[in-house]
Amino acid sequence: MVNEGGQLYTIEGVAAALLLLITAYFIVNSTSVYTPGDTHISDMQLEVLGADALAVMDTAPDSTVKKSPLRQIVEQEDSVLFNSIFLQTINARAGQRQDDIQYMANVTYVDPVDNTATSMHLANSSRPFTGTEHAVRVSRWVLVEKTFPGCAYTSCSGMHAALVEVLLWRD
Amino acid sequence: MARLMNDEAQWIVLMGFIVSFSLFFLAVLINQSTIVGQTTAEAVSEFPKNDIRGVRGVLTESTFLDDESTYRNKTTVQNEIVILALSRQNAIITISSTTIGEYTYTEIHYNNGVIGYNEITTFP
Repeated sequence: MVNEGGQLYTIEGVAAALLLLITAYFIVNSTSVYTPGDTHISDMQLEVLGADALAVMDTAPDSTVKKSPLRQIVEQEDSVLFNSIFLQTINARAGQRQDDIQYMANVTYVDPVDNTATSMHLANSSRPFTGTEHAVRVSRWVLVEKTFPGCAYTSCSGMHAALVEVLLWRD
Repeated sequence: MARLMNDEAQWIVLMGFIVSFSLFFLAVLINQSTIVGQTTAEAVSEFPKNDIRGVRGVLTESTFLDDESTYRNKTTVQNEIVILALSRQNAIITISSTTIGEYTYTEIHYNNGVIGYNEITTFP
């Protein structure tokens, strides 16, 4: 070695370079990137919106002891009323333009013949559900006084638990 | 050890190292804080709040049904709730009520494989 006078400067340079590199790595790494796996974050917003809309529909007017609109809709299978209330609630926005959220609603009940969960169609928005949409599911329990299809005996009219399930997607 | 040509600036070099190390640890802290915030928020918002609330609400409502006929009593309705919750919400529910004296104790157990929820309510 001709001259060893610069050794400390070299070590210092290497140490400083390493510090700069690792610091830059940590800073760049600390920003989070929105990947396809993170879409459940926006899905959760849609779920909250749908659950709130169903909760609104399941509230009796003026806090009376009357049946809530949702309960009456399920008992009478009133798809027109469900469509108008639900579509208006989920698509309401502060501005002039309405949002464009589509839905399909089912009622799931227990078939008394073989004690299995069975679904029947309740209502859907103008665009039919094809199965390729990125939909989320929200549900609401209701106790209804109704004879569900599939029940051959008139005696099984009475109080039943039913689950209103709605698939929601943004078109 | 290499011979230093001029050793007057050693304190400045030392301070430089200390400052850069503290910056380095601050960067580590910033890096960790975003991950911590994201995972916490996800854990909170993925909690099946609406499912538990719904099951609890409908079970509470069903306990006030009177025993009138085969399809107009709380046992049938609660069996339907158990079947529907298992097949549509992947949740196992058990419900039982005991009456001791004038009080009725209702036990609700809910488990969907990730979250367990247990409750005992007293009425009146």
